[in-house]
Amino acid sequence: METQTDSGTNGGLTRRNVLRAVAAGLVIGTGLLVVPKRYFRLPQQAKTFVAKVDAYQLDIAGVLTLGMMELGISRKELQGKRILLKPNLVETASGAPHINTHPLVLRGAIEAFLRLGAATVMVAEGPGHRRDTLAVYEESGLADVLTEDGITFHDLNYITGYELPNAGSQTTMKTLTFPGLFQEVDWIVSMAKMKTHHWTGATLSMKNLFGVMPGMYYGWPKNVLHKVGIQNSILDINATLKPHFAIVDGIIGMEGDGPIMGSPKQAGVLVMGRNFPAVDATCCRIMGIDPYKVSYLERADNWLGPIGERSIEQRGETIASVQTNFELIDMIPAQQGIRLA
Amino acid sequence: MEARVGSSSLRTLGSAALLRRALPSGEFSGRPGGQFQVDSTAWGILALTACGGSAELLDQSRHLLMREQLPDGRLCVKKPHPASYWPTSLAILAWQDSQSCSEAQQRSVRFLLNTTGFHFPRQSDAPSAHDSLLKGWPWVDETHSWVEPTAMSVMALRATGHGRHDRVQEAVRMLLDRQLPHGGWNYGNTLVFGKELHPMPENTGAALAGLSGSVDRDVVLPSLQYLHSEVARLQTPISLGWSLLGLAAWQMAPPNAATLVERCLANQKRYGEYETSALCLLVLGALAMEMGGQIPLLSASVYKGLPLALTQ
Repeated sequence: METQTDSGTNGGLTRRNVLRAVAAGLVIGTGLLVVPKRYFRLPQQAKTFVAKVDAYQLDIAGVLTLGMMELGISRKELQGKRILLKPNLVETASGAPHINTHPLVLRGAIEAFLRLGAATVMVAEGPGHRRDTLAVYEESGLADVLTEDGITFHDLNYITGYELPNAGSQTTMKTLTFPGLFQEVDWIVSMAKMKTHHWTGATLSMKNLFGVMPGMYYGWPKNVLHKVGIQNSILDINATLKPHFAIVDGIIGMEGDGPIMGSPKQAGVLVMGRNFPAVDATCCRIMGIDPYKVSYLERADNWLGPIGERSIEQRGETIASVQTNFELIDMIPAQQGIRLA
Repeated sequence: MEARVGSSSLRTLGSAALLRRALPSGEFSGRPGGQFQVDSTAWGILALTACGGSAELLDQSRHLLMREQLPDGRLCVKKPHPASYWPTSLAILAWQDSQSCSEAQQRSVRFLLNTTGFHFPRQSDAPSAHDSLLKGWPWVDETHSWVEPTAMSVMALRATGHGRHDRVQEAVRMLLDRQLPHGGWNYGNTLVFGKELHPMPENTGAALAGLSGSVDRDVVLPSLQYLHSEVARLQTPISLGWSLLGLAAWQMAPPNAATLVERCLANQKRYGEYETSALCLLVLGALAMEMGGQIPLLSASVYKGLPLALTQ
């Protein structure tokens, strides 16, 4: 698998980092605290693309193709590549299609990747809450779309795994076990839903990767990851897997008590990019959430990618033109005090 | 497949489909042409036994399963992953009525009785509503107890004569504590931040199967009603199989069970061939319809001498 290429350093120092370094130096000088290594990281740069899409019936394939091209993804880069799309399928409930990535966004992505030269596209997911993956596949409406399009679906919860050393070292996990299928693809694409989350504040492209960890090793609902720490696990999975591209379905997202019990929220956007922290930080700003107040994003900053607004080159729509506050719930600790000022 | 619930054709067709996943040495793969899997082998033994499969093959499969047992009695999804010990209860069930496997079975029973997951006192401001001290069994070592592994372990211990053991009694209380206020179970959370979560058919079926014979019908009535109202729409083998097993354990059956099973089998054209454990669950669920309150996960000897009321 290739690694993401859009998270290099620019070699310079931002005002924010200079202030951090000065503060850190003062603290070290007084010998009072050990300063986290992240305060000494060099700033990184990334690009994201935001598209306005008001309804699922619009030309999503066209929008995604344009967005990928704007981000520098060429036919040459994708020629002959095997693409795995990983949606967010958690569980289904009557009247709550906003829990899961919409099937028509998957269809649009399939078409876009094929247009840009990919050899094959498949869809794979290991739902956290349901043992019956096929039931979520069917009831979410995805089965209808993929059957019609002749696209294969894989249940990641039951695929024999391969181990990689934990490159993130944020949890006590020495290794991470990923589905063997990942050794047969070139690109892993996270296709998250834009949602608030009651344990992490927001769930976007990085948190969506919980679903790649096979239930047969991690349990339902991914018990091992919850036990060692959700935020730390998000960082370890992303640091170790090094996924390739992120597309977030924010056409209708979820606000309030996400990721399951929240209300639908029309944001009317698709957000994409090669760098996951940058994509997620952009989504947070669109949702009216300060990414620096979302613990795993703040810790990913300038390590897995930049989250600072000035470090992210914004293509397509401006954040201001699509920004809409997602409801946050006071009684939920992870959502307290994270509103963008 | 022209399967009819209660007909010998289901047994024949079920056997044929399962035998295609049997490897030459007797173990089962997850899919036709696939590699050996512990859980698939245990489910294969249970389903083939219910279908009246060859005693010789079953004996061979049970012995191969014994080779996967670790010294402390656990069986894991893969030997390099000893923490994923959830197939242990399945193996105990697969070894029922096999004299030559009884020692291995007892080792696994001891493992379950001596193993708990991660439990902790519930704080007054905890976001989750359930009693986090009540012990059942986890999917994976050192994690919390959840519904399906607990229901499976209760059935396994009951099948080996430990139904009155303190651990089983506590696990029954744990399952009841995780029942949703409006009926049904999900993976094991009830209310989070004050909101009641959604029930799921497969977990509800497993919990009902695990609780049958241990609690009064009134206690689980809302869950029976939920499952009975859901079953007609189910299209997939894990949900439908567990639902039929759970309802059968309480002497309930949807009127069109045969049609549901046929539709589910036919859906393999849409989804591809089912994974072995899913196919086994469907076969077992279909066969449960004709067993009058007994479920084919447990050998007939478990029910011997029990008054009918205990199976209702």
